[in-house]
Amino acid sequence: MQCRNVLTHIDAMRTDEIDSQDRDRIRQHLDDCPSCEESVTDLEGFAALARSLRHSPSESLAERVCSSVLDSYDSFDLDGDRVWVAFSSAGLRMVDIAAADESDFRERYRKRFGRELRRAPIPENCRKSVEAAMLGLPIGLDAIDFSGLTEFERDVLTTIRKIPRGEVRPYAWVARAVRRPRAIRAVGNVMANNPMPFVLPCHRVVPSSGGVGNYAFGPDRKRRVLRSEGAPIELLDSLAREGVRFVGSATTRIYCFPSCRDARRIREENRVPFRSAEDAARKGFRACLRCMPETASA
Amino acid sequence: MRSTWTGGTALTADSEQLALAVHESRDGAFERLVARFETSLFNYANRLLQSPLDAQEVVQDAFVRAHHALTSQYDGRRVRELALKPWLFRIARNLSLNRRRGHNHDLERPLSEFDDGRIGPLVPAISVTGIVEAREERDALERAIESLPDDARELIVLRFMEEMSYQEIAKCTGQTESALRGRVFRSLKLLRAALSEGEAQSCNAETC
Repeated sequence: MQCRNVLTHIDAMRTDEIDSQDRDRIRQHLDDCPSCEESVTDLEGFAALARSLRHSPSESLAERVCSSVLDSYDSFDLDGDRVWVAFSSAGLRMVDIAAADESDFRERYRKRFGRELRRAPIPENCRKSVEAAMLGLPIGLDAIDFSGLTEFERDVLTTIRKIPRGEVRPYAWVARAVRRPRAIRAVGNVMANNPMPFVLPCHRVVPSSGGVGNYAFGPDRKRRVLRSEGAPIELLDSLAREGVRFVGSATTRIYCFPSCRDARRIREENRVPFRSAEDAARKGFRACLRCMPETASA
Repeated sequence: MRSTWTGGTALTADSEQLALAVHESRDGAFERLVARFETSLFNYANRLLQSPLDAQEVVQDAFVRAHHALTSQYDGRRVRELALKPWLFRIARNLSLNRRRGHNHDLERPLSEFDDGRIGPLVPAISVTGIVEAREERDALERAIESLPDDARELIVLRFMEEMSYQEIAKCTGQTESALRGRVFRSLKLLRAALSEGEAQSCNAETC
């Protein structure tokens, strides 16, 4: 075997990546050739040193990599609920009170956003936002990370933020408000998949026909949340039974949704019920500018 | 092309499990993947690009792509058959080369002729010369590595710093194992030549 052939193999021999026949022939050559034998020593010395010459990345690299791929989650107890919260550096991404455990929540999140979560302590401002939201208080848009949602979802979810605490609006009203009046069922789907219940108050959206409709955490929970916010649930129920969708004031000749705060100020003797917006218009009533009930008439 | 990533000794049970854990989104799996390979990939990308900033971006991008592939693109069978380490290096390699498109790079150039002589001492006798001189010699070695052509520098990194097998390097760079043996030898010769040149220059500077 020639020196040239031996030298191209000695490094592979160092890590035992060579067949036994070649190894025997090279060993034989090395016994007779001090020059090649020296190269083996040189190589072993270099191999031992080389690893210490590696360059290391900055300490923040792993953190940056992980936070660009993974979002974070945490959970805490609030008024008898275990609240699960997913968040990114841009704000809240998902809130859940129905998750059975950590892996259930992570699985729900992965299904919804196709991203993974890692446990990390929730920042104080995120936690405060969620607590405020669960009390029915409005929270700033900048606390929410809307990325990963479709434009339609974003439109719908930012629109329902405008429904005041203690009031409700029909799905059809939301569809009109986002200039997609026929997309009532689509609005319902967005509500059903709302990643941030309470924070984005999907519980304030109800069927046009009355009643509270469905809710991710059950209709009973929806009623409880609405009642705690001061919505006139019993009134809405009784009006729905009578087929009344709007109420007007005989003095101002303005009609509203029954939960509108202006409607609730109408005295009993001045209250005029309407089954439809057309009915109200025919009788010379105009729509309230605050709750905009005409947008719900289909 | 797909089959080049599968099978063989490069696929250790350990890294197979890690790829599968990431695929199945197990808790902490991706963090473990990052912790395990970030230094290796950074060192490799930084040696290829010779720019720590670019290397950080490449590594970040490589991990994001790897995560996407493992969790959203590859099915379980493909992940189980994946040779994780060379696959990751290959992603970092492609991203590094993309980043330098327009610049000249000579990673793919043919093996040049080399003589039959011995490689020569690559490591000066560090143990006997004390810490200060050891450091100077390490610096000299560092400069010599920096001055190497891209392909030689790449092989020095993969083979000696990252301790990859010839099979793994073959998967990463797309060359045959037998060609790699010759190339590694040539790279060592070039490194030795660069070291001698560096020594000669520093001797001239000090007029010794």
